[in-house]
Amino acid sequence: MTIRVVDDSLFATTDPVALRGSACRACGAHVFPAMGTCPVCTGVDVAEVALPTSGTVWSWTTQHFEPKAPYRTDEFAPFSIGYVDLGSVIVEGWLVGKTSWAIGEPVRLVLAKAWTQDGEPVHTFGFEAVEGSGHE
Amino acid sequence: MSDDSVYIVGSARTAFGRFDGEDNDLAEQAIRGALAVAGLAWSDVQFAVGGTNGETKPDNLVSRLGLTGLPFVTVKNGCATGGVALMTARNGLLSEGADIACVVGYDNHARGAFNASPARYGIGAWYGATGMMVTTSYFALKIQRYLHDHGISPRTLGYASEKAFEYAAAHPLAWRRKPVSVDDAMDADMINDPLTRFMFCSPDAGAVSLVLARGLRAFDLCERPVRLASVALRGRRPGSFEVFSPWLSPGERTSPSIDASQAAFAAAGITPADVQVAQLQDTESGAEIIHLGETGLVPHGEQEAAYLNGDLKVDGRIPVNTDGGLLANGEPVGASGLRQVHEIVRQLQGRAEGQQVPGAPRIGFTHVYGAPGISACTVLVAEGA
Repeated sequence: MTIRVVDDSLFATTDPVALRGSACRACGAHVFPAMGTCPVCTGVDVAEVALPTSGTVWSWTTQHFEPKAPYRTDEFAPFSIGYVDLGSVIVEGWLVGKTSWAIGEPVRLVLAKAWTQDGEPVHTFGFEAVEGSGHE
Repeated sequence: MSDDSVYIVGSARTAFGRFDGEDNDLAEQAIRGALAVAGLAWSDVQFAVGGTNGETKPDNLVSRLGLTGLPFVTVKNGCATGGVALMTARNGLLSEGADIACVVGYDNHARGAFNASPARYGIGAWYGATGMMVTTSYFALKIQRYLHDHGISPRTLGYASEKAFEYAAAHPLAWRRKPVSVDDAMDADMINDPLTRFMFCSPDAGAVSLVLARGLRAFDLCERPVRLASVALRGRRPGSFEVFSPWLSPGERTSPSIDASQAAFAAAGITPADVQVAQLQDTESGAEIIHLGETGLVPHGEQEAAYLNGDLKVDGRIPVNTDGGLLANGEPVGASGLRQVHEIVRQLQGRAEGQQVPGAPRIGFTHVYGAPGISACTVLVAEGA
């Protein structure tokens, strides 16, 4: 069964899930989502890469009010967004499972349901806390 | 002083807030006000610049001001519009060999404006659909990290809000003029952690106009002309943290505000320690804190102490946003950069419309910053008696 996602181009794989970024062969910079050029050194020699699937919370916030269109959800509840340090790049994404986070907290990449379409869940990517990491 | 020095010899602003009329009415009101202060007529203006992020064409203002055939350049540069318009007017005076220029910035934003689409920023639709295309979350993420990096308590955000509304209460042309205590600010509804409802500015309406004069002409027109010692515009470099960024680089954090302020200070031959009154982009309370550090006015990490010591109040070491800033005036994008200059001009001339900085300050500084990663800064110096 195919896992439906909000945008196929964001993923190197969906099972297991890994994000699709690009890496510049000239300067080594990693970006997400994948691009055909390098915004850091202005080069054009880039390669697609699967990004690391775990990292730490670099910053976080919780969205307490429902965003305007084009935001899409089955039913709104406050949710967290953060930047996660994956080492080679810091990526912005949902932080799932709770609404209070700590900078430095370890997290891992997961798929999370964004909305339902034609009775099927459509997923986006997010990061969940690593159990037993000692962070509340 | 030289023939190439450019001075502000007149300035005027409208009341900011909700405006139920035509954008052009706002702009005209500001222009006529600035000309009146300078004792000039539209026919005296030799070069004009108009900046707005709305739908009107600023150069069409000539149809109501007078068809003198003057060159009228229009600017649309997001939050930097006011600074860029001023820079353009200064450059126009010098390149045209003209003596008098007029610059106007204005906007009339509806409630809840600033709803961008991902496509405009080159991002896929998924970004907006999953609720990440929200400017409040960007501001929150940025200040959350900054507070952490520099050991600043979230209560500092409340100090910024309290100061803004205190000074707006004293300024007849500000918008949000009801005082807000630190506790009111901290206890208000959370929008995006750590920022509450009283920590964000809102889009609104307003217009500001300046009249510039070149060289000695300035002293015929104005008892205390304010010299535009420098104006610098910079864009983002790798490592900056801008709105609508699905990724950030893990390395050194850069900022167009750091680059623009350094360039403005260098061109004016001064350091941040020389600044006696300042305006900093305070789109939300966190921005004022971050920009104190990025411009060098207060060392990173010392902002909390600066608020508590009163350093940033009108009678402090470095008064900041003495008219209530964006927090209390709102954000008509085209006008804000010029509102900042107007307030500094009034302070340096000893004619502040709200609370006056004592001790006859001579050196002022303004800083705007906005999407997609731009900053414009000016250094202003009082001349004359």
